[in-house]
Amino acid sequence: MSRALSPSATRRWTSGLGGVLAPRLFQAGLVAWMVGTLTFVLTRALPGDMAYRIAAGRYGDDMVNTHAAEAVRAELALDQPALNAYFGWLWDLMNFDLGRSLVSGEPVMRELGHQLGHSLGLALAAVLLSLLIGPPLGLAAGLRPKGALDRISEVVASVLRALPPFAVGLVLVLVFSVTLGWLPAAGHGRTAHTILPALTLALALAAVSSRVARNAMADVAQAPYYAFSRTKGLGERLSFLRHGLRNAAVPVVAYLGVQLVYLIEGVVVVETLFAWPGIGHALVHAIVARDVPMIQGTALVMGLLFVVLNTLVDLVCHLLDPRRRTA
Amino acid sequence: MTTLTAHVTRAWPIPALSGRQALGALLLGLLLAFAWGVPWLYDADPARQQLTRILQSPALAEPLGTDHLGRSLLARLAAAIRLSFGMALLSVITAALPGILLGVIAGWRGGWLDRVLSGIADACLALPGLLLVLLLAAIAPGNFWALYVGIALVLWIEYFRVVRARTRALAASPQLEASRLLGFGLGYLFRRHLWPELAPQVLTLAAFGAASAILAMAALGFVSVGLRPPTAELGLMMIELLPYYHEAPWAMAQPILVLFVLVLSLNLLAGKDPR
Amino acid sequence: MSKSLLRVDDLTIQGDGVTIAPFSLELAPGERLTLLGETGSGKSLIAQAIMGTLPRGLDASGRLVIDGERFEADNGASRRALWGRRLALLPQEPWHALDPTMRAAGQIAESHRYVAGRTPREAATAAWADLTELGLAEAGSKLPGELSGGMAQRVAFAAASAGGAPIVIADEPTKGLDAPRRDAVVELLARTPARGGVLLTITHDIDVARRLGGEAVILRQGRVVERGPAQPVLTHPHSEYGQRLLAAEPGRWTRPAPLAARASAAVVTAHGLAKARGGRELFRELNLSVHPGEIVGVVGPSGCGKSTLGDMLLGITRPDEGHIQRTDGHRLGFQKLYQDPPAAFSPHWSLQRLLNDLVKRHRLVRSAIAPLMAGLGLDERLLDRRPGEISGGELQRFAILRILLLEPCFLFADEPTSRLDPITQQQTLALLVELARERRCGLMLVSHDPALIERVCDRTLTLGEADYAGASVTATGPSLVTP
Repeated sequence: MSRALSPSATRRWTSGLGGVLAPRLFQAGLVAWMVGTLTFVLTRALPGDMAYRIAAGRYGDDMVNTHAAEAVRAELALDQPALNAYFGWLWDLMNFDLGRSLVSGEPVMRELGHQLGHSLGLALAAVLLSLLIGPPLGLAAGLRPKGALDRISEVVASVLRALPPFAVGLVLVLVFSVTLGWLPAAGHGRTAHTILPALTLALALAAVSSRVARNAMADVAQAPYYAFSRTKGLGERLSFLRHGLRNAAVPVVAYLGVQLVYLIEGVVVVETLFAWPGIGHALVHAIVARDVPMIQGTALVMGLLFVVLNTLVDLVCHLLDPRRRTA
Repeated sequence: MTTLTAHVTRAWPIPALSGRQALGALLLGLLLAFAWGVPWLYDADPARQQLTRILQSPALAEPLGTDHLGRSLLARLAAAIRLSFGMALLSVITAALPGILLGVIAGWRGGWLDRVLSGIADACLALPGLLLVLLLAAIAPGNFWALYVGIALVLWIEYFRVVRARTRALAASPQLEASRLLGFGLGYLFRRHLWPELAPQVLTLAAFGAASAILAMAALGFVSVGLRPPTAELGLMMIELLPYYHEAPWAMAQPILVLFVLVLSLNLLAGKDPR
Repeated sequence: MSKSLLRVDDLTIQGDGVTIAPFSLELAPGERLTLLGETGSGKSLIAQAIMGTLPRGLDASGRLVIDGERFEADNGASRRALWGRRLALLPQEPWHALDPTMRAAGQIAESHRYVAGRTPREAATAAWADLTELGLAEAGSKLPGELSGGMAQRVAFAAASAGGAPIVIADEPTKGLDAPRRDAVVELLARTPARGGVLLTITHDIDVARRLGGEAVILRQGRVVERGPAQPVLTHPHSEYGQRLLAAEPGRWTRPAPLAARASAAVVTAHGLAKARGGRELFRELNLSVHPGEIVGVVGPSGCGKSTLGDMLLGITRPDEGHIQRTDGHRLGFQKLYQDPPAAFSPHWSLQRLLNDLVKRHRLVRSAIAPLMAGLGLDERLLDRRPGEISGGELQRFAILRILLLEPCFLFADEPTSRLDPITQQQTLALLVELARERRCGLMLVSHDPALIERVCDRTLTLGEADYAGASVTATGPSLVTP
């Protein structure tokens, strides 16, 4: 321990970071390109005169005239040849020029700023809540495999995993808001509004993470090094704290990366269900309203959020597991 | 954790099911029998509206009651299961075949081919699956094929990764080297060495894949960017019936329950905890 | 009689198809006892019963007196307070016994801190002092994954004994170590009795038992076959099993009949072979030839390229330089025998089916199988089983059977008996010698046991003799020595 801060140790700590960050940076670029390309295809693939339709959506059917349609046409570069327009589209994206919403007329960036804050708040609450429920339950179950706690939590987790987040949310709304009237069903603003959407997401996350933690802990408890820690005299508590927790945490945190997919997907449906003014809700609205710049902006932010969170998970793994630092 | 073992007596191994998996298979079998049996035994059109008979409770004439447009819930649920399961089966097969094939090739050959294929797989994973499906659904709104392509595009990667890793480990293993030295060809190596190892994992992935395909379609229907009314689709039915929760809670509960049992049976059939 | 540190009275273990007959022992300070037996003899269970770590489903009965304190054997939990302080257990596989995510020094220091009750600073100092004393100063800041098997064994030893327990139980402490590492571990173990503690060792290695001295106990199927002072018991045993066990030691084997003159041409010849792996040169300018019926031994430290050489001779790997000439027209005659028999078979099929596949593939004569099986001592009934369902020795003989069916002319046997018990090892090697001599098959035999190679082989090839750290080239090249 006395050498923990020796020069060689510090070097080792930083050495693997490039290996963690470089692929994620590449992934971020890939996300931007994919979202840009798909939304570009979207502008070209729509049936009918796109400009007229969007203009109708923006100004109302009565107000559509050639002038309004031309404005939209210019905004989306529908008047240019496809290849030119495509590179122009990607160029704007690279300069973070996301354009204006076709529905509200506001710059997309400004709208995203508000929504991102709401979504982050919800996601953070959900992840923290799930970490409070899932891993502790899983670790306790994994210390006594086949015990009562293990069996009960397995059944509950199986049930929750078979229910999609929107169904869990629906059930929670029906129980806590509609029937009991304890919590508001939809909306935003007070803490009470956060509870149901966050709990919906957290339950889905905890259902999986509790089983991952349980299996990881059961594996660790059976490992020869865990037995050795006990026979060399550390006792149950110290063995768990010094050798059980870290080794069990490595797969749990690594799996958190996989779970982020559920989180991002869950945000889309849960925000829609609870009318939460976040990115996911905005994306669904934009798709329904064919607001192409907003679709691009929201999908891009969600994709990048996914990359950022994955990077965080990588960094935590890096911190937890010294093998990654030396490898 | 359950592991699958292969029967010795058959030329191609059929995985033996554990108790939990057998329960899943039974539940799934019952649901499918319901879904395909209803049109045979009961004459009802899932789209026929009877505005004089809206939100009726279950009765002999309408065993599961009617919805807010007077449509038969029995017929609609059966149709929704057929749609969900059919789409899941189709996307699982389209994902599994190229996934397994490319996985075996990449794991076996290694080198640049492996790097290119792995790169493509990683690129498909850059965006969360549902986001990709959503964008495709936005391009072709309400289109079954857009959903199907999007879901299959997300699913094939799992097969590719698992099969590639397993093949890679086996390709360098003594058991394959020994068989090659004994003069056996590629077909034999695949049949006797690779497939028995891959089959149980492929079954697990297929069951999980089908479950996530069904969930994805329902989720899109639920947020109104998936299939369009009047299609009988589980997610769509839930959001349609939600406003009538007070008058007809049993109607609202039906699609939720069916989706739950469908996904549960597939998760049980998969047999393993997620790792 | 002096006061004993460890006394065991009528210890029996029952359950799960295992029975250990009543077993007693008494060790006074400075004494040693070694339990010797093959896999399944129950020797590890005795150690676990004393520690109180028997697996579920096994029940112990009998009485223990540890450092004057009495215990009932069936109450395993009662000994937990003694772990590390009175009783130390050296684990079977040190590599797996160390926490893969904690550096070596930390794993020793925590014993000093929490078991011996030192301050963090003292504990760290003591841990580094232990490491230095064991010649591991540079290994302290490494993770277990970066340590060699011998280093891991010493780290585990330091971690287990930091609490100063006078009673040390070592469970197969030399498993998987090569000869020099094995001797170093024996030396390490001998320190405990020298300091006035007691040592109970469990091993399958007769040589280790002999070097440790003290009392020796030979176990077979849960019963004591013979016991007494190590020297007489392990040189002139009275029991029939003890005599067989000793006769199975390579040093006592009868040498194969000398090879008749090399009349025919070599089955495989290599000229100027060179191979590098991972940027390190394994060998260069290697010339060798193997003739029909000849047995060539290959020795060298782990990682020196023994297996790679075999793969090149078999045509599985290409050499970087040089060329290899194999006898024409007998492609299937070049075969390999593997270290771990189950790894060489697909585990999903019955042996009958796998043999049928081979017969069908090469249109072999089916009636040839039965006499070959009889010759190899294989029962017909085994054919219905799968590879994982028969013993390692039986499976290795099945591997030989598969090869025999193809009438081999060159066999590369890569440590074919290192996972087998001594008696099975002797039987298997006798079969291989017969294969070489009577069927005129060239045999190349890899082993980490110099005594075995010396006894069986006509010639020996030593690889990686010079410094193999990577910087310098193996200047002398491999030498071909004729004993």
